[in-house]
Amino acid sequence: MAGLVPPGTTINTDPSTAKPKEDEKIDYFNLPCPIPYEEIHREALMSLKPELFEGLRFDFTKGLNQKFSLSHSVFMGPIEIPSQSAEAVKVPTAHYEFGANYIDPKLMLIGRILTDGRLSARVKCDLTDNLSLKANAQLTNEPHMSHGMINFDYKGTDYRTQFQFGNGALLGASYIQSVTPQLSLGGEVFWAGQHRKSGIGYAGRYETDKMVATGQVASTGMVALSYVQKLSEKVSLASDFMYNYMSKDVTASVGYDYILRQCRLRGKIDSNGCTAAYLEERLNMGLNFILSAEIDHKKKDYKFGFGLTVG
Amino acid sequence: MGSRITLKSKGKSVKGAKAAEEKSTADYLKEWSTWTMKKAKVITHYGFIPLIIIIGMNSDPKPQLYQLLSPV
Repeated sequence: MAGLVPPGTTINTDPSTAKPKEDEKIDYFNLPCPIPYEEIHREALMSLKPELFEGLRFDFTKGLNQKFSLSHSVFMGPIEIPSQSAEAVKVPTAHYEFGANYIDPKLMLIGRILTDGRLSARVKCDLTDNLSLKANAQLTNEPHMSHGMINFDYKGTDYRTQFQFGNGALLGASYIQSVTPQLSLGGEVFWAGQHRKSGIGYAGRYETDKMVATGQVASTGMVALSYVQKLSEKVSLASDFMYNYMSKDVTASVGYDYILRQCRLRGKIDSNGCTAAYLEERLNMGLNFILSAEIDHKKKDYKFGFGLTVG
Repeated sequence: MGSRITLKSKGKSVKGAKAAEEKSTADYLKEWSTWTMKKAKVITHYGFIPLIIIIGMNSDPKPQLYQLLSPV
């Protein structure tokens, strides 16, 4: 069964392996490079978890040259703060965020700073062809609320490994290997010094031209399964199942993703009684209109947002 | 018996001094690394975005200074 359909959905597939559809023997020494371990649920996340927001959002990105751009973003709306009660507690906030991006094939720097002094920084640097360094940090003025993480990724011919160091003595390592052209399996271990926790997890991903199925289990009690079916170029359906066997928490969600010429519409419904939809409409070249809605019937929380993105 | 007691106490005091010294080297290392992390955090907090802007303004093709501020 494997090898009948050449893999077409992995971004790292060499164009030379996209041979015409015929029965070919799997060359186990020439497998494609798998996608990174943390992106294993990528298709399901893209379809089922759009960036929902509440209130007004306005983003303006101004490019100064091919690689360098500045972004200005205004947000006005209620922000939910975690509360003990079943109802959501919201605090109205407004902020302005300034950002600068420098995107080069070898080096990518993204920085965003808010009016309250919070900085979020991301760096991605390709040290050699196969080794890359990624770092991200969220820095605040409040003490003990900042975190940072640095990752070293090594990409082999048909495997990837990653080492992670974070503040609070967080160490992690992950490894993913292509077993057949469609199937890749991987595992990860992590150790959090500050909370004295350690864990181990396994994940698998099976993909063909038309579908992607992934599964992940971790010793923290999390089991996550997802399935995405691509019905056509424009439509894909996704479903997701998350189960925590320690806290006996279950969530299942089903959603759709329509990628049309002028818009992208994503909708989902949850087993927690939550439905959400997200529309990005292209009004003109570089002008996008965004509508976001999330209705949580259980918590009686209704969030509607609208926004405009320029550039 | 008295000599044995004094020998014991001498041993203890020597061990105590060595333990205090070892603690201070580990402590010193911790203090130094905490100091560097704090300084690195402040430097990143204030300097990261200016660093991106400097790298961007010096990349090819070189943008003009007025383009940084104007909305066009």
